Amino acid sequence: MRCRRTVKPILTDLMSGETSSNMSQDDLSGLIARIALGDRVAFSSLYSQTSPKLFGVALRILKDRAQAEDAVQEVYVRIWRRAGSFRVGQASAMAWLVTIARNQAIDLIRARQPATLEYDDAPDVADLAPDPEARAVLSSESRRIDGCLAELEADKAAAVVAAYVEGLSYLELAEQYAVPLNTMRTWLRRSLIKLRECMN
Amino acid sequence: MTTGAQNPDDNALAGEYVLGVLPLADRRMVEERMGRDSAFATLVSSWQADLSNLDDAYQPVTPPIGVKARIDARLFAEAAKPAGGLWGSLVFWRGLAFASVAAAAAFGIYSGNFTQQQTPGSTPALVAELGAPGSSIGLIAALDPAYGAFTITPAAFSPEDGKSLELWLVRGEGAPVSLGLVPGDGGRLVLDQNLVRQISDGDLLAVSVEPLGGSPTGVATGPVVLSGALSKK
Repeated sequence: MRCRRTVKPILTDLMSGETSSNMSQDDLSGLIARIALGDRVAFSSLYSQTSPKLFGVALRILKDRAQAEDAVQEVYVRIWRRAGSFRVGQASAMAWLVTIARNQAIDLIRARQPATLEYDDAPDVADLAPDPEARAVLSSESRRIDGCLAELEADKAAAVVAAYVEGLSYLELAEQYAVPLNTMRTWLRRSLIKLRECMN
Repeated sequence: MTTGAQNPDDNALAGEYVLGVLPLADRRMVEERMGRDSAFATLVSSWQADLSNLDDAYQPVTPPIGVKARIDARLFAEAAKPAGGLWGSLVFWRGLAFASVAAAAAFGIYSGNFTQQQTPGSTPALVAELGAPGSSIGLIAALDPAYGAFTITPAAFSPEDGKSLELWLVRGEGAPVSLGLVPGDGGRLVLDQNLVRQISDGDLLAVSVEPLGGSPTGVATGPVVLSGALSKK
């Protein structure tokens, strides 16, 4: 079942990136802790260090500068209000910030799309647990997501990455891959289960 | 019944949520479940941690300067709550600004009808507290519409040699408008009367570092070091 075809450019870009500037996660965590105490100087400092990344997230997903500016405003208002819920160790500070930005941008675009979709409820993925042998092979692989993505067929890996990075909806993915909505959902859910098996 | 951690359907749902592919109603349902099912919330956290390796794909893009000022305006404009000592206290700086205005009046620096303009019921002055990312410097800019001038208090910082500090008016989506150079030792910054009429409650001020004499291009060229919103006080 392993296909090692060339993965689409978006994926190769990503893999060559390696871990980006691990911009002193400790510093960011410290700033978030101070923001939780109402420290506005820390808030301004966090903004100057992280707003380009979070604006980049919003732009990539919303594809509109004015909307991305609005989203970034909302994101930092949330950061100010929710700083107390950040726990060092659960997630890196930057990952926590990007999650807030992605959620805000994705909620904004989903709000303009149908709130529900006529897909079959949760296509069955229960038959996908790999046999013990396959599991042993998989568990010797890297736990990093990119290593596991390479185990998927190229177009399915690219669909996972495009969904995450671009914030594509099931409808948009189905259109892009010219398959019915339910097929797209089954593909993606199966890809997710394979990824989870690979990373565990 | 399997536990959430072993259930492939739940695992896939948590992954779909983190990818972002679900429609809005389903996103809200997942979030509601995260609130009451900690095993499921853990699945979501695992996906967030694993997929965050894809965050490298997001290229940084610097947002326009007005964005931070608008955030500050939303979070802090209405409240003059002391946070972080005197520098964080708008009440303190406003008091100082007005005290210096009053002192100036007492010394006859302003023209005779000054006190008349300040009687109760007259147009209140607009005040902006300008904060500085990452440092403790700041200033208060108080606009007296009757005089068409900002009183800058204090400007107790000096830009590097060969640089000037320029004050900008930032309104909505429009390009920032230069209000002139911040006086080196504080004091008054007299504005063009047409400009004064355009300034209103909620507008934002920003200070950028520019070449000596101000931006040669009419738009801010250097980093914004201070920003804050104007409000009636």
